[in-house]
Amino acid sequence: MTNAVVDVHHLEKTYGKAGERPYTALKDLNFSVAEGEFVGIMGASGSGKTTLLNMLSTLDTPTKGDVIVNGHDVTKMRSNQLSDFRAQEVGFIFQDFNLLESLTAEENIGLPLALQGTASKVMDQAIHAVAETLSITDLLKKYPAQLSGGQKQRVAAARAIVHQPSILMGDEPTGALDSTSARELLDLLTTINRDQHMSVLLVTHDPFSASFCQRILFIKDGQIGSELNRGDLDRKDFYQQVLTELGTFSE
Amino acid sequence: MLTKLALAGVKNRRRDYLVLLAGLTMSAAIFYMFANLATNQAFIKANAVIKSASVVFGFGAVLLALITIVYIMYANSFLLSMRQHDYGLFMMLGAKRRRVGQLVFLETLILGTIATVIGIVLGIVVSKFLVGFLLDQLGLHLSHLASFYLPAILFTAVLYIGLFILASLFNLTRLMRTTVQQLLHADQQANQPKSRPLRQFIGGLVGIGLLAVGYWAMAAIEHLQMTAIPLALVTITLGTYLLFHAAVLAVIRGLRHTKWAKKHLNGFLMGQLNFRVHDYTRMLTIVSLLFAMALGAITVGSGYHRQMPMTADSLGAYTVAVHDANAHQKHLINQLHVAHQATYTQKVQGKTTYYNAAELKTQPFQQIKSLQSSPNGKPQFYTESLAKFKKDGVTQLDFIMLNPNKLGDFAAPKIVSAAAFKQLKGTTYRVTTVRVKHMADDMAVLKQLDRSEQHRFPQASTQLTIGTYQSFEMMNGIFGGLEFIGYFLGIAFLAMLASCLMFKILSGAPGDLRRYTMLNKIGVRRGLMRASLAKEIGILFAIPGIMGVIDVLFGLQMFKPLMAKPMSPYLGIGTTFAIFIGLYVIYYVITLGLYLNLVMPREVVRD
Ligand SMILES: Nc1ncnc2c1ncn2[C@@H]1O[C@H](COP(=O)(O)OP(=O)(O)OP(=O)(O)O)[C@@H](O)[C@H]1O
Ligand SMILES: [Mg+2]
Repeated sequence: MTNAVVDVHHLEKTYGKAGERPYTALKDLNFSVAEGEFVGIMGASGSGKTTLLNMLSTLDTPTKGDVIVNGHDVTKMRSNQLSDFRAQEVGFIFQDFNLLESLTAEENIGLPLALQGTASKVMDQAIHAVAETLSITDLLKKYPAQLSGGQKQRVAAARAIVHQPSILMGDEPTGALDSTSARELLDLLTTINRDQHMSVLLVTHDPFSASFCQRILFIKDGQIGSELNRGDLDRKDFYQQVLTELGTFSE
Repeated sequence: MLTKLALAGVKNRRRDYLVLLAGLTMSAAIFYMFANLATNQAFIKANAVIKSASVVFGFGAVLLALITIVYIMYANSFLLSMRQHDYGLFMMLGAKRRRVGQLVFLETLILGTIATVIGIVLGIVVSKFLVGFLLDQLGLHLSHLASFYLPAILFTAVLYIGLFILASLFNLTRLMRTTVQQLLHADQQANQPKSRPLRQFIGGLVGIGLLAVGYWAMAAIEHLQMTAIPLALVTITLGTYLLFHAAVLAVIRGLRHTKWAKKHLNGFLMGQLNFRVHDYTRMLTIVSLLFAMALGAITVGSGYHRQMPMTADSLGAYTVAVHDANAHQKHLINQLHVAHQATYTQKVQGKTTYYNAAELKTQPFQQIKSLQSSPNGKPQFYTESLAKFKKDGVTQLDFIMLNPNKLGDFAAPKIVSAAAFKQLKGTTYRVTTVRVKHMADDMAVLKQLDRSEQHRFPQASTQLTIGTYQSFEMMNGIFGGLEFIGYFLGIAFLAMLASCLMFKILSGAPGDLRRYTMLNKIGVRRGLMRASLAKEIGILFAIPGIMGVIDVLFGLQMFKPLMAKPMSPYLGIGTTFAIFIGLYVIYYVITLGLYLNLVMPREVVRD
């Protein structure tokens, strides 16, 4: 794996301030994601999935170990570099959408570009291009409060990819969606992954969502417990395999 | 059970409740202090010598009551915004509407009662110290000023508790009408203003028209009398609201589609403002009124404070006149910044005072020109030849009053030749007249000098001495009350303004915390977030500030009749404005710091 987008070595995260009882959520964790790969991360509640994603997206800092994203060692960065890194290299889709309700869908989507000082013409083009991909062109002038959950998540996805980040991360992005909307979103992520060769890292506890991935990492006790490769399996068969793995994994 | 839950909710938001309680308490304290002054008949009779002063007191109280009503409405909406989520949750969990209603009613009323009681106690305590301190600083003496006055206590209590009962009822009906869903998501609802450009344009025009009426009413106070103030108050309030609403929306709409709005967080800023414009315009209107009243009151107060000595300077040819100055008085005179000093020998026979012509020739008596003939409004002095002086100068009051009887019985003074003066029998006095450069610079010494002269000549029936310093003391007696009210109201309004903004800010913080956390996640630099917040809060401060200054510039017209020439409500307002705006900017910086602390996401610590 020469072209790794994410490279994690000996990652450790211990919570708890001085005086409190420390809790080690991640311990000597190693893995990498290749360019253009669609990777899922699964694990029981409290196993450290969100913690891992927070380390990758620089929202939190590891206690030990290296995290290299698209060639940048994120553990060495400081304040403004961190913000810029998040703004440029990472696209993030959250479970609760995280849209700004005071801005229209269009303005929400344009925000990452505005932050980089993109010219307004280029910006409009980019916004309309992603809106087309995600079929939300007719929603652009609406405010988040006027959108359904699924529509909101598609707007959020558009915001996450409009600036062509090197990796798209999602923490349970389908968690708040009904099955139809969830399916639509996962299809969209697959399309984006395939057509734009954007790497995707998806945290989920739902086997159905996970079955859209090419590779699944199972976290247990703060470490990668096992790994599942889809290979040439079709999605339905892979889904069965995930279920089986979960059954044995949780024992 | 429900009560327990409600109490837990209160506990969780201790800080917000504390701010709310502090604000309401302060408002009640201020109201009590003013009601104490305004309703204390003994005090008013003793101090408000002229009728207009007591009118001002009355209006001050009405104004404060109106502001209080608005203020309580505002605080109440803050309370409701804080609680509605909890109440919604209770109802969703199956609590009966009626039961929750009772809870809301009681909570509002209990909070209000506590605030009122503490506020009145605080008002009594502060009256005792602050009022005394303020009077001391201003060199004023207001008699019959008691800190404890039962009618004022009752007045404050009735008004406040009454208002809180109304507020409780309002909350109750509000709660009964809203759906659980709306209560739960009230803080996330986007009430995007409908854009109706024509309507807003007309609204803006009507607003400007109303403002014009209000400004005219203030200028025409002599003509309109009592109706001027309420008329101005209503028209300016409505006008400001309409103008702000139209202007803010128009500016946002204009800017939102420009290239500028697509850079950095500018679009977010515009969105924020647009999102909260209804909420903001109401608050901005109130704050601009408070700003105007605080600044106006302080300007008028300091106007009197500065201008009374100045006016007194132009009232006569000498500041003090001392008969047979003793060593102590000579010592005091030496400390003055003397502009002109002269000493004349007097001989008194019966009621007539005689002067030596030779003395008046070598040292002519200085007279003051009438202000009308002075080009720059500054007093000018002149002397005339002895012959001329004998004809008309001797009839000038300034000269006549130099007789040792002071204001007692006297006849016209006579000027005789040196030889004749020598022959005269009668008591001999030597009177020294001193004119200082600026009375304001020598206040303390002049006061001592005046007191010692009064002490030495107690026969001066009315306890008055002569000279412009005495005139100043008389003016101080008349206008001092106004000066005091000015400062007092100014400080009161400023305090209310501060806590109004504080409510606004705290009620916006939870939502903003969420927004800025999101921005942080998508990679907005901290500096950019800070700048955006500084701009947003800066706009909230700047708009009412600018409007307030304009209001005051027009509003000072109202005081023209009370500050007759050579005083003017506009004289020297630059310094007052600068100090006030300086304070306002400091308050802005503090508020911003506080807000940044509340909403900025924690920085990721690296070790
Ligand atoms: N800020 C924190 N301080 C202390 N402990 C924390 C903190 N955040 C998470 N933890 C602990 O770390 C462990 C992992 O949490 P994490 O949020 O990563 O779980 P997760 O895998 O995302 O679970 P879920 O599927 O429920 O979202 C949990 O035991 C949690 O209690
Ligand atoms: Mg999680």
